[in-house]
Amino acid sequence: MAPSATQQVLLSPAELSYLHTSLSLTPPIRPDGRTLCQFRPLIAETDILPGTNGSARICFADGTEAIVGIKAEVEKSRPSYQAPGDQNIGEDDDDEADEEVRRSEKEAEQQKGLNEWVEMSVEIPGFRDDDSMSVFLAAMLSEALLADGEFTRRLWINRRFHWKLYVDILLLSQPLSYPLPLLSLTTHLALLSTRLPKLKSEQDEDPLFDDDWEASVFLYPRATDTTSARPPITLLVMAVKDNIIFDPSKEELAVAEVVLAVSVGEKSHGVVGAGMDIDSGRTRNLSLLAVRTIDPPSRLTPPGVPNALNTATGGTAATTEQTSTQRETLDEEGVWQPPRGGAKRKLIAAMIQKVLEQGGVAEEVLDGLEAVELG
Amino acid sequence: MPLDTSTYSLALLRLDGRRWNELRRLTAQISTQAAADGSSYLEMGNTKVICTVTGPSEAKATGGNRSGGDKADVQVVINIAGFSGVDRKRRGRRDKRTQEMQTTIANAFSQSLFTHLFPHSTILLSLHILSQDGSLLAALLNASTLALIDAGIPMRDYICACTAGSTSSYSSNDEKADPLLDLNNLEEQELPFLTVATLGDTDDVSVLVMETRVQIGRLEGMLAVGVDGCKQVREILDQVVRKRGTKILEASQL
Repeated sequence: MAPSATQQVLLSPAELSYLHTSLSLTPPIRPDGRTLCQFRPLIAETDILPGTNGSARICFADGTEAIVGIKAEVEKSRPSYQAPGDQNIGEDDDDEADEEVRRSEKEAEQQKGLNEWVEMSVEIPGFRDDDSMSVFLAAMLSEALLADGEFTRRLWINRRFHWKLYVDILLLSQPLSYPLPLLSLTTHLALLSTRLPKLKSEQDEDPLFDDDWEASVFLYPRATDTTSARPPITLLVMAVKDNIIFDPSKEELAVAEVVLAVSVGEKSHGVVGAGMDIDSGRTRNLSLLAVRTIDPPSRLTPPGVPNALNTATGGTAATTEQTSTQRETLDEEGVWQPPRGGAKRKLIAAMIQKVLEQGGVAEEVLDGLEAVELG
Repeated sequence: MPLDTSTYSLALLRLDGRRWNELRRLTAQISTQAAADGSSYLEMGNTKVICTVTGPSEAKATGGNRSGGDKADVQVVINIAGFSGVDRKRRGRRDKRTQEMQTTIANAFSQSLFTHLFPHSTILLSLHILSQDGSLLAALLNASTLALIDAGIPMRDYICACTAGSTSSYSSNDEKADPLLDLNNLEEQELPFLTVATLGDTDDVSVLVMETRVQIGRLEGMLAVGVDGCKQVREILDQVVRKRGTKILEASQL
């Protein structure tokens, strides 16, 4: 992602160095006094637009706001030229029960969706439609949604028809901080609130739907006894030295050494063993869907000038080439240097671990979002 | 879908049960977004619009063509969400209708705002249409007025807008034709209508847009009903602003 697309933070090298030092302390001190895993408060509501199948709005504390509207249309599936049942030619068992199992398996196989059944678009005010920022954000969000191949299966109606889902994401404010988590959480809520009309026709007939909206079915059905699957969320995680920081503000991103976008999904699982449920209530079946490193905006910040290179402090000024070579070896505390190079594997593993672990951040966020739809 | 206008003459009630001179439910909020200089949310029936104002801010120098001079430049960007209509449709920014609405709104507000107080600057209005059900331009104008008030940009008076139509487009039942106030989407598709905006309580018309054909004899009636509707709209917008004002006053006294 081109970091130039996000707004540049206007901080001097001295301020950047101060921020960087305070974030690399143990325990680190964040500019707004949060702890490492603490998120900023947000306002969220769902089902705000009656003209859509599902919609949501989230307002972050820094004033950024997004609205997502989802519309579904019935579309004719392209005929597939795959020969029916070519997998189980070899075995020829005429056991009745086995036949039944195999038929349902085949059915499940056919209920596979295509990625093109989902269309996602991101609109950011002041940016062109084909701007790299909105294209990249849309790609990243749809990547997380389609990663496990489970989602498009929900759009399957019968062998001839399927739902086409249009997810339109509007960012209403200027992209103050990196808007990916905001858009992801809003999309999550909108998908959760999405309802499709109830199917009345059977098998491969032309689809006929119940026109009672009250009878409509949720795209993500809610079950009370078991944990049901949930749409993915994408979180932004950054690191300064060995400190892993969640929900970074734009000032913190300006000194980040590593920025990761981690997409997490929740799979449905049946009844969990009764013994496990006693103390924790219930556990979430989290899985990692995608990880992307994001070029941090800190790379574009202006570097500080050490005393040795500053004529005002008795140093000798060097030419630009000399400065850049000398800067390579420089490691002076208190002089801001934009981070160079990539991230350590160990650090990345630790960051992912911290998102996924039980009682970790992803679980906390999912719990928080669950409270929204109930309220 | 053609609208069966013949039912109107039976009970003098419109499709949604209103009489000829009734507005739809009009609700609004201001200061909905913390990050913007001014913002508002407005519903006219099922038409839902969000407006955010940025500025007055320093004009961006684009391609050496410096805007401004001794007056602030009012820019309008309209974004019609893909999910706003009945069918999902993406409208590009270069859409002719959208562009025309943008210039209409920009021209209206460069007249009513005291732009000479902010030389070399721009005021950017960005409008998001979340749901559309008729009277789109009117809703946009009303939302912009509220957002500009929230941004604290001095203006002569509110610009309040609404639409007015006429029940019949044929000359045969000339006497029976009634003017209608505040049309919804179905009525807009079938009947001739105009959008009128007035400056505050006066009868001064600042915007008048009409894209359909109508007999000249009916125009006066439509216009009179429209201007009357604008006064009702002004009352409602004024209440929204006053309510916000008292809230701020109460908060400051604590």
